Amino acid sequence: MADTLNRLTEVFHDVFDDDDIVLTRQTTASDIEAWDSLMHVTLMLQVEAAFGVRFSSSDVTGLKDVGQLVDLIDAKAGR
Amino acid sequence: MSRRDDLFAYLLLEHPRSLRGVQEARDVDPERFDRVADRFLGWAEAARGADYLSACADAMVRFSNDVILAQARYEATGAYEHSSFDHCNDEVYGKREVMDDYLWGVFLTNFCWAHHMEISAFYEDRFLARLPASPAMVEIAPGHGGWGVWAMHTRADASLQGFDISPSSIAIASSVAQAAGVSDRVTYTQRNALDLSAMPEGIADAVICSFLIEHLEQPDDLMAVIGRLLKPGGWAFVTGALTAAQVDHIYEFRRESELVLMAEKHGLRVCETLSVSPKRILPKAKFLPRSMALLCQRTTHGFW
Repeated sequence: MADTLNRLTEVFHDVFDDDDIVLTRQTTASDIEAWDSLMHVTLMLQVEAAFGVRFSSSDVTGLKDVGQLVDLIDAKAGR
Repeated sequence: MSRRDDLFAYLLLEHPRSLRGVQEARDVDPERFDRVADRFLGWAEAARGADYLSACADAMVRFSNDVILAQARYEATGAYEHSSFDHCNDEVYGKREVMDDYLWGVFLTNFCWAHHMEISAFYEDRFLARLPASPAMVEIAPGHGGWGVWAMHTRADASLQGFDISPSSIAIASSVAQAAGVSDRVTYTQRNALDLSAMPEGIADAVICSFLIEHLEQPDDLMAVIGRLLKPGGWAFVTGALTAAQVDHIYEFRRESELVLMAEKHGLRVCETLSVSPKRILPKAKFLPRSMALLCQRTTHGFW
């Protein structure tokens, strides 16, 4: 899980072009100004590529915070 | 608080990632946004009941995310995901649970998407303002019913026949018409749009056909139906999507002229057009998703 969060942080840095982003399980869209619906889908596609998983549209819409995204990645990847 | 205030408060709490886009829609024309949003949300409340706000806002967010996701996959592949109308009919239009959510989501995009707020303004200012006295109107594929009901609400002397292939559309459009108090002047019938070619020619003073044409394998046939149904001199409001993916978009229009030429081919003079795109698009996008509205008049003298 810690590995997932670390790798996910790299993806966030890349997508939002901001190496200062620090992720915790409690991080939400309210904590990252550029994290709107458009960037969310961009982020999810980058996560798909980085972790070798594929999300459904309900996966994309339902996530409330980074913790839920980490759990979803781990579940999809069979960790 | 107004219903639109309730919507913003709900989005802030439940869907903060979607708030920016709706605020951009309001910024297009705050007075019009407030008026249209309160009206549409009022109809939704009357049609759906107490849970209308969460149900409709959640549906709109799901629909919007589906659209962005489809666009992102289209960017990657260069093609819409599906190309068969029968597939979409089986998987979307014919499935009540899918279609109900889809339609209430689309209902809110009429004012919650900034570029569709521009289409709504075009509809109100350029199309509704041109309707003749006591217009007999036909709406092809009314979906949620919002466009036609808006016309009936604006013009107490108008009547409307709506035709849609989806039973969910008939049910929801009927409930919206009831909510708006116009159901005595509206009839909805379950029927494939292309079957309307069998109807008598020239029965409509005005035709509404919003965001159907990109859902068809043979869009030309639909434009022929619109041309056939209109009386000479009658008006049509037609919208379509260009390089804009969605789970059930199957015909890929790439240029605005494709729609214009198709309309002209079937006896319509294209008097005004509006082509709009979202305020923000995917990073490094190859395709610009666009929504286009055409205001057309049935020709009376050959080519004009």
